Amino acid sequence: MWILAVLDDRADLGAAASHADADGRAVRRMAAGDERGLAELYDRYARLLYSLALRIVRERSDAEDVLQEAFSQIWRQAHRFDVARGTVAGWLVTVTRSRALDRLRRRKARPESPDGERVAAAILDPSEGIDLQLVTMEAVARVRAALAALPDDQRVPLELAYYEGLSQSEIAARLATPLGTIKTRMREAVRRLRNALAGEKA
Amino acid sequence: MTERFDHDSLRELVPLYAAGMLSGPERAGVQAHVAECAECAAEFRACRPLDAAFAQSVPQEDPPTSLRDAVLASARRDPPIRRSRESSVGTLAWLAAAAMLLVSAGLGVYVRALQQRIDGLEGQLREALVMLNDSQQRVAVALRAAVDAQAPLAVLTAPDVRQINLTGQRAAPGASARAFWSRSRGVVFTAANLPTLSPGRIYQLWFIAGKTPVSAGLLAPPDAQGSLTSTVATPIDLPNPDALAVSIEPTGGSPGPGPTGDIYLIGAAR
Repeated sequence: MWILAVLDDRADLGAAASHADADGRAVRRMAAGDERGLAELYDRYARLLYSLALRIVRERSDAEDVLQEAFSQIWRQAHRFDVARGTVAGWLVTVTRSRALDRLRRRKARPESPDGERVAAAILDPSEGIDLQLVTMEAVARVRAALAALPDDQRVPLELAYYEGLSQSEIAARLATPLGTIKTRMREAVRRLRNALAGEKA
Repeated sequence: MTERFDHDSLRELVPLYAAGMLSGPERAGVQAHVAECAECAAEFRACRPLDAAFAQSVPQEDPPTSLRDAVLASARRDPPIRRSRESSVGTLAWLAAAAMLLVSAGLGVYVRALQQRIDGLEGQLREALVMLNDSQQRVAVALRAAVDAQAPLAVLTAPDVRQINLTGQRAAPGASARAFWSRSRGVVFTAANLPTLSPGRIYQLWFIAGKTPVSAGLLAPPDAQGSLTSTVATPIDLPNPDALAVSIEPTGGSPGPGPTGDIYLIGAAR
């Protein structure tokens, strides 16, 4: 179970790797049309993905739709997924976040770049996979603590970027703050989080 | 963009890019640079977990159980595109022919014995996996409970924690509530003497900024004595609130941007 690897800082990478193997097998089953692969990934990741979607779209019914769309997409595209390019968990998070942000944008009736293009780019770009199983709970806790310790004027822009997908100029407009100030604050904020990730005091 | 995308200025953006927080021309610029600069590629890899940390830094909540069936049902209606379908049919046909050949050659008994042995081993493996999965789930549930139990403590010990007292309104004159709010860590909300809910109804918590209500989420239903305690997250991008209020709403929460039912509790937030 992947969450164990994340929660236990000392969980050895062997366990995480075997988990990635199980994910890879599930994707191959899906690619062969076997829906048990889909059920397996759903059981492992639905809670994490639903929580992420809910944080972004803020409505339970929308978060359910997002999860439906995300799982439907990975089901249809399973045959194109290459395990060597990134982790399955990272792919699931990327697809779910993209879908949730698309929905958020549609809800705000703000025309943006075509959905399909960006989602496809996210899947085809090997750098987009997240090595989720390498992120220990301790590292997550350090980043969360550092995030909570940030002053509001640094934390809010990061949250707008991640959970609402806003660009730096959109964030500047939203917060009625000059773009240069937003850029400086975001760089400084993420530098602190990066230090926390590395285990240094921010 | 008049800004010159040189190494130094791009390197500063690598952590934001890795955390999935850049878009537009900046994103494209960093992406191209990371592809050709070894130092920035290393920094990019080191920062990838920021993305995962944000993905996981949200209050965890289980999706409704009905969603699993819906996801699987829609997959059943919509089979994946398989380019290799024809060749796999070909392989199957070939295997069938080969099996026939084996049977006709008198090896059918051996094949059957082998198949039985495989079936037996598969059964054992399935049982072992079920047992393993079950115990892992129990550990995960316990860990989750431990993590959830820490949330109120985090709010109460936050440096920016603020107390807000709420008083009962006409719909519930005897009710009272107290909230501890930290912008960074969320709201711990306790109420007493709230009317018990009729089926299909739930209490919803709102921040009020000026005249604009912002939902802070749904509250756990009160017990028989009308008491409840809930911990919810601060809504993102919340302007400085003037008040905190509780309304009664349909189970899924208010269908609109603001309260639709009676206000049961309200208190000034400054």
